[in-house]
Order: sequence, then C-alpha cells, then structure tokens
Amino acid sequence: MIVLETCALPIDSEDDVVRVRTRVRDLAQRLGFDAFAVAAISTAASELTRNAWVHGHGGTATVEEVEEGGRHGVRLQFHDAGPGIADLPRVLKGGFSTRRSLGLGLSGTRRLVDDFEIESQCGVGTHIVVAKWARFGART
Amino acid sequence: MRSESQPDYMRRLKLDADELANRRRFFGITQEDLERLGALRPVAERHMTSIIAGFYDLLLEHPRTREFLGDPQLVNRLQRAQQSYFLGLFDGRCDLAYVEDRLRVGHVHERVGLPLKWYLGAYNRYLQLSAAALRKELPLAEAQLAEASLQRLVFFDLALAVDTYVAAQIETVARHRAAVDELSTPVIRVFDRVLLLPLVGTIDSARAQGIMETVLKRVSDQEAKVMIIDIAGVAVVDTQVADHLLRATAAVRLLGASTILTGISPQVARTVVELGVDISAMHTRSRLADGIELALSLLGRKITAAAS
Ligand SMILES: Nc1ncnc2c1ncn2[C@@H]1O[C@H](COP(=O)(O)OP(=O)(O)O)[C@@H](O)[C@H]1O
Ligand SMILES: [Mg+2]
Repeated sequence: MIVLETCALPIDSEDDVVRVRTRVRDLAQRLGFDAFAVAAISTAASELTRNAWVHGHGGTATVEEVEEGGRHGVRLQFHDAGPGIADLPRVLKGGFSTRRSLGLGLSGTRRLVDDFEIESQCGVGTHIVVAKWARFGART
Repeated sequence: MRSESQPDYMRRLKLDADELANRRRFFGITQEDLERLGALRPVAERHMTSIIAGFYDLLLEHPRTREFLGDPQLVNRLQRAQQSYFLGLFDGRCDLAYVEDRLRVGHVHERVGLPLKWYLGAYNRYLQLSAAALRKELPLAEAQLAEASLQRLVFFDLALAVDTYVAAQIETVARHRAAVDELSTPVIRVFDRVLLLPLVGTIDSARAQGIMETVLKRVSDQEAKVMIIDIAGVAVVDTQVADHLLRATAAVRLLGASTILTGISPQVARTVVELGVDISAMHTRSRLADGIELALSLLGRKITAAAS
C-alpha cells in the first residue's frame, strides 16, 4: 500500500468532528467514491473523531489518500492517549456505552468501512485505523 | 478610560495580575527594562514627531494600507492616538492599566478593519525608527540595551494586539453562529396541528439542545399532533444525530404527538441501517410530500382533488 497524501488534524474540541469529516468527505468525493461510500466514510470519520474527543479526551486524526493494486482509498487513523477501552469485545458487539449514548459508534463504523483495526490499552490510549476503497476505475 | 462599545477584553482574555506576571516573565520584561525606558522619555518626546511621521509614511506609501487611511481627519486622530501609544512605551510601567490601554489600541485597529499583517509590519517600522533615534542620542552600548528593552515591550504589546484581534474574530463567529442557530430551527406550521422542522447543516450537541427545546415548546404551544422533521439538508446522520432524533421523538410522544422523519436519502438510509440504529419509533418517509400526507392521515384527514 502506498500513501499518496497525508494530513494530521488535531482533535481538541467538538468542532473538530466537522473539520475532520469535511476533509474526509472532500477526499472521498475527489477519489470518485459513490454516494454511499462517501456517506459511509464520512460517518465513520464522524464517529471515530467524536469518540476520540468524548471518550479519549482528544488526540489526532490522520486522513490519508492511499493506493493499492491500482485502487485508491481513504485511510483514517485515530490516536488518543485517553483511558482506553476495557472490554473491547463487548464494545464491538454494539449497544454498550459508558456515556448513556447509543453505543453503536464503533460496531457500526466497523460495518461501514472495508478495513478496520483497533488497538486499545487501558490507561494508555486507543489507536484505530480504518479504510474505505473506491471501486476499480472510479477515479476519472 | 473605556469607550462605551469596547468589549471587556481584560475579562475575556483573563488578564488579571497573575496572567500579567506570567506574560511579563515570558517576554522577559524586568523592572530594569521599564526604568531604562522611563528614563528615556525625554528622548522619546524629542523624536516622537519624526518617528510617527515615518511610521505613517510607510502606511501611506503602501496602496493597501493607504485605503484604510483615506480620510485626513482620521489620520490626524490616529496620529494623536499613536503619540500617546508611543509615549506609553516610555512611561516606565507595565501594569494592568497599561495592558488595558494596549488592548484599546488593538481594538481600535481591529474595528477599522486594518488587517493584522499590516499592523504587525507597521510595528516593525516603529522598532527600526526608534532604534535609529536611540543610536543618534546614546552611546552604542546604551542604545543597544535600550533597543532590547524596547523590543521586549513592543513584543509584549504585539501579543496583546493579536489577542484582541483573535478575541474579536471569535466573537464574530459566535455571533454568526447564534444567528444561524436561530435561523436553523424554523418550525413551520404546515397545517392545523402539523408542524414541520427542516433541519440543515450540522447538528452538534449544543444545537441539538436548542432544537429539542424549540420543538417541545412549539408542539406544546400549538397543541400539535404531528411533528415532521425533514433531514434532507443534514450532512451526516451518525449515531449522535440519530440519538438526538430518537430523544426528540420520545419527548414529543410524551406530549401526545408523533414524529415523522422525512428527507432520508438512500445513502443515509443505508448508513443508518449499517450503524444498527433502530429508528422504528419514528414514522419515516423518504419524501417530505409523503410525510405531509402521512401526517394528515394520522389526523384522519386527506388531500383530495377538488370536485369540478
Ligand atoms: N477512543 C476511545 N477511548 C476510550 N473509550 C472509548 C473510545 N471509543 C469508544 N470507547 C468506549 O466504547 C464505548 C462505545 O463507543 P461507541 O460504540 O462509539 O458508542 P458511544 O460513543 O455512543 O458510547 C464508549 O461508551 C466508550 O466507553
Ligand atoms: Mg461513539
């Protein structure tokens, strides 16, 4: 996989949710993603940025344009040095929240993207990498 | 002395004795600096007129800054303000009153719309002109010490000027935001007991709060039976937006009304399903027109063609 372009954005207020996802949406559109893929990766960006802010007390989002085997994609990385996720399997099952919200952000994001990796350690922080790929020949 | 319209930057920038001490330490302004500059006040007074003239030459020879100084009367007034500003550097003090005075200078320039870049560039000219004057008057070693002291104080002033600019911008944004928020919860009465709320843009926690309040108030004031929420203009429907919509629906139901969600694009519908959010508590229709028809049928009415 080749990284063609990368941009690191700080997450230190709720406004950054919009900032990050606007950037993601622009990139996805530029790469010729279809309407659902654009909505999917923008929504994923929204969920993960908000989690890094609300649960992880802030961090960074990295928005990358990547290419593999002639296909273009958007890869997003989220880092925070927050409390980490204690019971990852439970969170990934969905419907669990420590904040009385829906608890569907992580589990739902996983279904919206093509690649999903998460590393989280209690007291250390959380690192999430997701990617969504354009269909072959999408880019004009 | 503060003019009526000047915002309270001292409070907004949390400029109290503590913050002042912090800034002075950071910029390296010592009592010695202030005394040195205070002692140079007679020198400053002698050169003031030519330094300020040189400063305005820069502003007037540059076409972009000349625009801001079109009115000779304004130039006159600014020059007088400039004199008191300039002499202030040689007052031998850097206390809260001094800070307040500096904030006022920043505010005045921000208000006439002078871009920060010109402001900073002009300060640089100030330093050059002052340095030249000091070298004319003092032995080199002394002049250099004075220049260093002056530079520290001018940088201190610059930080305050930048702060007023930033604070003014933040305030402008907040004002616009409040205006947009107000505009963006326009609850429309489409029919007796049927309300419509077209949502546009981004729904963050603060805005969701406002929307919830407006919706509940209107539903109860107008004894509405149906609340249609159209989300065609909402950029992204994530779990938080869904959560807010569900909460609004639950609250509206407590008031005896139902909620219809309309304007759902195919990609939003699919995203919401993938997220696993259960929105079955709301009636949903993809088009607003269908939502209105459903609302009427919930009230036991329907739209028919007029008999000819
Ligand atoms: N970056 C993070 N740092 C720490 N905890 C997290 C993070 N992201 C998610 N979590 C934990 O996982 C739970 C589920 O997250 P999510 O599925 O997004 O739902 P919600 O945000 O509605 O709680 C959160 O309530 C929180 O306890
Ligand atoms: Mg979440």
